[in-house]
Amino acid sequence: MNSEHGGRLRTGELTLAYGSQPVVTDLSLGLPDGQVTTIIGANACGKSTLLRALARLMKPSNGAVYFDGQAIHRLPAKEVARRLGLLAQQSNAPEGVTVEDLVRRGRYPHQSFLQPPSRDDHEAVERALELTGMQPLRHRPVDELSGGQRQRAWIAMALAQDTPVLLLDEPTTYLDIAHQHEVLSLVRRLNREEGRTVVMVLHDINEAAAVSDRIVALRDGAVLADGAPDEVLRPELLERVFGVECDVVAHPRDSRPVSIPRSRLARRGSRTPEVEPRGELRAHGLRLGYGKREVVPGLSTEIPAGEVTVIVGANACGKSTVLRALGRLVEPRAGQAMLDGRDVHRYRHREFARRVGVLPQSPVPPPDLLVEDLVAAGRYPHQRWYRQWSRADARAVERALAATGTEDLRGRPVAQLSGGQRQRAFLAMTLAREAPVLLLDEPTTFLDIAHQVEVLDLVREANRERGVTVLMVLHDLALACRYADRLIAMKDGAVVAAGTPAEVMTPELVQAVFGVEACVVENGQSGAPLVLPVYGHRDDGGRQAVLAGRAAVEARTPRTRAHTEVT
Amino acid sequence: MSAVPIVERRRPVANVYLGPVAFRVDVRCLALIAGGLAVLAVLAAWTMTLGSFPIPLTEVVKSTVGAGKPEHEFIVRELRLPRVLCAVLVGALLATAGAVFQGVVRNPLVSPDIIGIDAGASLVAVWWIVTGRDTTFLPVVAFGGAAAAAMGIYLVTWRGGVAPGRLILVGIGVNALLGAATTFLMTRYPIERVSNAMLWTTGSVYATSWADVRVLAGTLGVLLPLTVSLMWPLRVLQFGDDTAKGMGMRVEVVRLGLLLSGCGLAAVAVSIAGPVGFVAFVVPHIARMLAGPMTGGVLVLTAVAGGILLLAADTVGQHFLPVALPVGVVTAALGAPYFLFLLYRVNARL
Amino acid sequence: MATVTRPVTTARFSPAAIRGLGLAACAALLVVVSLLSLRFGAVSISTADAWDALFHYDASSYDQAVVRSLRLPRTIIGLGAGAALAVAGATIQATTRNPLGDPSILGINSGAAFAIVTAVFFGGMVDSHQYIWFAFTGALAASALVYLVASAGRGGATPVKLALAGAIVAALLSSWTTALLLLDEQTLDVVRFWLAGSLAGRELDAFWTVLPFLVAGVAGALLLSRQLNVLSLGDDTARALGMNTTRVRIISAGLVVLMAGGAVAAAGPIAFIGLAVPHIVRTMTGPDYRWILAYSVLVGPMLLLGADIAGRLVVRPAELQVGVITAFCGAPLLILIARSRRVAEL
Repeated sequence: MNSEHGGRLRTGELTLAYGSQPVVTDLSLGLPDGQVTTIIGANACGKSTLLRALARLMKPSNGAVYFDGQAIHRLPAKEVARRLGLLAQQSNAPEGVTVEDLVRRGRYPHQSFLQPPSRDDHEAVERALELTGMQPLRHRPVDELSGGQRQRAWIAMALAQDTPVLLLDEPTTYLDIAHQHEVLSLVRRLNREEGRTVVMVLHDINEAAAVSDRIVALRDGAVLADGAPDEVLRPELLERVFGVECDVVAHPRDSRPVSIPRSRLARRGSRTPEVEPRGELRAHGLRLGYGKREVVPGLSTEIPAGEVTVIVGANACGKSTVLRALGRLVEPRAGQAMLDGRDVHRYRHREFARRVGVLPQSPVPPPDLLVEDLVAAGRYPHQRWYRQWSRADARAVERALAATGTEDLRGRPVAQLSGGQRQRAFLAMTLAREAPVLLLDEPTTFLDIAHQVEVLDLVREANRERGVTVLMVLHDLALACRYADRLIAMKDGAVVAAGTPAEVMTPELVQAVFGVEACVVENGQSGAPLVLPVYGHRDDGGRQAVLAGRAAVEARTPRTRAHTEVT
Repeated sequence: MSAVPIVERRRPVANVYLGPVAFRVDVRCLALIAGGLAVLAVLAAWTMTLGSFPIPLTEVVKSTVGAGKPEHEFIVRELRLPRVLCAVLVGALLATAGAVFQGVVRNPLVSPDIIGIDAGASLVAVWWIVTGRDTTFLPVVAFGGAAAAAMGIYLVTWRGGVAPGRLILVGIGVNALLGAATTFLMTRYPIERVSNAMLWTTGSVYATSWADVRVLAGTLGVLLPLTVSLMWPLRVLQFGDDTAKGMGMRVEVVRLGLLLSGCGLAAVAVSIAGPVGFVAFVVPHIARMLAGPMTGGVLVLTAVAGGILLLAADTVGQHFLPVALPVGVVTAALGAPYFLFLLYRVNARL
Repeated sequence: MATVTRPVTTARFSPAAIRGLGLAACAALLVVVSLLSLRFGAVSISTADAWDALFHYDASSYDQAVVRSLRLPRTIIGLGAGAALAVAGATIQATTRNPLGDPSILGINSGAAFAIVTAVFFGGMVDSHQYIWFAFTGALAASALVYLVASAGRGGATPVKLALAGAIVAALLSSWTTALLLLDEQTLDVVRFWLAGSLAGRELDAFWTVLPFLVAGVAGALLLSRQLNVLSLGDDTARALGMNTTRVRIISAGLVVLMAGGAVAAAGPIAFIGLAVPHIVRTMTGPDYRWILAYSVLVGPMLLLGADIAGRLVVRPAELQVGVITAFCGAPLLILIARSRRVAEL
């Protein structure tokens, strides 16, 4: 199937396993030179494992990864490192290492024992800094940079390695839309201007479509689809890859495909009328901070009862802090957080907890805990030391299990569940409290699109059927627009805009809040606006540059070539 | 990735409703506690038959209730029974303390002997012994040392709250500091006294009296019910501070209560028997393996299992070895290999 | 590097030049500390006498005899052990990417102590020349055990896991050591001074046996510094840069055992030098291990001798073992590191 993509890097009948558990089986894949190839797939489909094997970090249990026809596991490590550069997932620089120092360490494969840095080393470092635009920051410690800058510094390190092929493992995780844009634009430029072959793993399909020449979709360790973005991003194929129905529309600017997962629920606005909304939250002149740092300088906003309100904003804009203040997890320095017209700190502890259910970001379950016990723990605010388990508790737990579809999981340890199941179990714990207000902090982090939709559908259901007031923080704008009745956009601790998604989400606002150029179109199924970042033109006259650039890369790595020819 | 065997676990649970009072009772845990108590009684009776002056089992039982021969009654009631009771109570106190600390710190590998609480007691006690003071006050003094160490660790760890990871590291630092001070004392005094002090620091229930039993029993009587009732909020605290606060718990109050009672349990045990290692560590794991995650019931089971373990270790050390060894050495020698295995497995799952 | 000037520091000197000067200053300071170590103690000796004892030895002078027979050996041992412990600590911190790397935290000290006590107990061996082999064996076994236990599971050997495994193995071994000591008071008498960790009363002959190992260890670690720099970026990155991380780890573990085991054999279990020195040095050099290791070679002995001198002075005419002093100073540092945000977040 892949013979037509014969690049220098390819896999042959590759089988990868952790212990006796195969993750990727019999995979033969060619990765074309001079192109950006992105591997996508649901959580745990083996995409990161595959990338690790391509980078020689993992030994295949069968088959091999070939570079120029040689199995890379039989090549010396340094030899491979002169051909393949890798940006590992979640890289952490030691405290105090400067950008320049970090980039210089990327020259390791070109240096030998006790040899002082050569002129080549110096030039490669300078070029890498220049390409990534990190020259002005070269003396800054890496751990003090912003997320996007830090990722750029690490890419610079991989560039200094001066390899024709660059492998990137989830380079945009933890980044907000602006920083994602920053990193992916750089990746695209490296490919277009330098002719580097890029292979990366992304979990966001639309980002993948925006910057890739080719997309490989994996499911259960096998290739389901492999081709140009518009060939791969088709509804029926995405359903097979992720197990969720999707619509695919064309990007208005460059007609590249954009996928929108469908919600299980009916169209928006179909609220059961007889449910009376309960629980209204209000922030009044809220000032919040940690230590000496002030995060929110004074914020007033309103979370109306019975609606789903979502706060969006760039990383570190204070959105989670506001949610925590409303959930009484943070004490405000000034101002008030109010629930139904009364300061949240004036409620008694359990009384407040009976009214507001908070689900903090990525909660960690204790080992060995069963789902049933997890959900039962959610009843704590209703209990007393002499009344630890009443009939009402038992009924509420049953209802919560039923509502989240976790009844079948009740006897399983939480630690053994998949990401989506675990998040559902935690949601059940929060629902078991039967509080009229739900506060959820990034409930979809680490989940793939199918699980994201699954969890948010549950939240919406609780809102529609029981009139629960929901306040969420989400960093994914598409999801925020889809599920919110009301959107609050924050920047630097202040509310920039608030209203329905259609009112709030304008290209100007995206530019103002995130600093990213974007188109906003209407989503066919739900009518919610859809924010599509613009990554330059799709077919800029870069093709010429690709070839020229590739020649340049090859000319700069004579040793690699020489070795190839000898063997 | 999905081929990990799916574990289904259900526990037989009985619900008890009495008007406003409502409890959930784990039937299996209750059965285990009853079984453990029976084993404990048999083991205790059998241990009292052993020694340089063997006494038949029936005589032991009669003497215990005050119906035996006078010479037997003296040996059983004044010599052997206090020692047996002390071993059982010390084991129960240490095991409960271990369970409390492991729960609070949210790390199954922590116990008072690792984070410096035992070291506090040891330092003060060694000082007391090597300077040749009256040993009748030794328990009081050692308790003071343990409590001071615990408070010190808590205060130093405090930075707007007590983060579990920080508590472990601070505890290990305090342990090293106090250990160095103890070593210093040991090199500065004559060898005879140092030898005595060394014996104390390994932990032993040799020559304990009814007075010790009363102190231990009193502590257990007060602190065990308290900790059992605190297991209910602890269950929620284990999800992390944010979740617990979100559920309307005063996290620091609960945590302080747990830490104080844990310290009290450990300090009293150490003050009487010296720092007996590994009991606090291992027993909660055994209890959890038998009965599932820590609840009030499992905590009681932990106490019972701790009593059995320490009594068995003391019996072995006293009667079944060529040289009589203090119980602390036996628990370390027996518990250690198992413990390392356990540590490896727990780490592998973390 | 030399062409780049750091705007933060100065416009006139390159950072390399400044660090070089700093290194020279450390060397000079070390000479001064060594001389102080010859001078101070239960009896104070004039600088002139200390100097003469080294270069114009007059055997009839009591003071000079004291210097030659007592102060000189402990100073030499302090220099060797200090450098070895500090470099070992820095190497551990680099390979485990863990700010709490220290030979004593890794169980090396208690492993060596246990091996030696066992040897004395069963073999009646009291010749301190033979300590070294047992110290090596014990150190190697204990550190391997600690690392094995700590690195199990996700995330590898995190600070908390490593510290815990080390503390537990140390507790385990020391309880076994205690058991042996209880069984035989004579063994206790032989080893109790060794157990305290002290530079006093050590034989120089035994140190000469150890010295080649220390030198080999320190030299090897210095040669490995560039690899350590790359390794500190994380395993995946280091491997992607073409490093055989397993080999580097094994080599550096071997070097650590040479250094720490040798130092323990020569001077007994001295805790926290390996923890403290790299942290102190890092404030001067930044995160580059080439400089950290070079500075550690000089600052390590400086600190150890300083602690030793302090031990001689605080309870004069008696002495406080240097191991006790370093623990008193080092444990608070451990607590400080624990309270710093970076570790707390792990």
